Amino acid sequence: MDSDTILAQLQPIFQDILDQPDLVITRQSNAQNVEDWDSLAHVNLVTAIERHFKVKFALAELQGLKDVGDMIELIQRKLSQK
Amino acid sequence: MNEYRWEEIQIGLKAEFEASFTEEMMQSFAQISGDYNPLHVDAEYAFGHGYMGPVVFGMMTSSLYSRLAGMYLPGKYALLHGIDIDFNNAVFAGDRLIVHGEVSYLTEAYRRFEVRAKIRKTDGRLVSKATIRVGFHE
Repeated sequence: MDSDTILAQLQPIFQDILDQPDLVITRQSNAQNVEDWDSLAHVNLVTAIERHFKVKFALAELQGLKDVGDMIELIQRKLSQK
Repeated sequence: MNEYRWEEIQIGLKAEFEASFTEEMMQSFAQISGDYNPLHVDAEYAFGHGYMGPVVFGMMTSSLYSRLAGMYLPGKYALLHGIDIDFNNAVFAGDRLIVHGEVSYLTEAYRRFEVRAKIRKTDGRLVSKATIRVGFHE
């Protein structure tokens, strides 16, 4: 799956979990520049992303992420391993 | 009280218990919540609106989901993260309720799990269903 498709599929997940219907995330989006992306929301996001893409993340993989772009790359790696 | 740790939680782990509420408990809940809506505290009003008696507060029956997490799944070390609830049927004082929960998803990276839970009356009628998100405190 290409990164643009993954980013597009992440949009409704972020909008729903962060309760911001008009939110548009970019590859540069992260917990510092997106409102209400707190630690609990982060766990909810990870769970929703796991479910949507049918992948599982390890804590070590998530700890290295600095923005949505990194998450997209991680999702691509996970999908390619399936 | 169960004392499950993360390592013991697996998909399909179940818990079930019975509960019921009294009119005195409903009065206490009205005091705690400050919700004195007549549907819950005025028998005549409730009867006049098609119910056989005061309707037990939805959030009161849902307190059984707190018990499910705090006493059963996982029990002692629970830290409640969130609950999504849908209500289906009214409950009245004295109704016997069966609360059932089953672990349905593990977010392994953050040691959090989800429980799909339902409350039914003993005749099988669905009272509510919920998705409960639970982590652990140390």
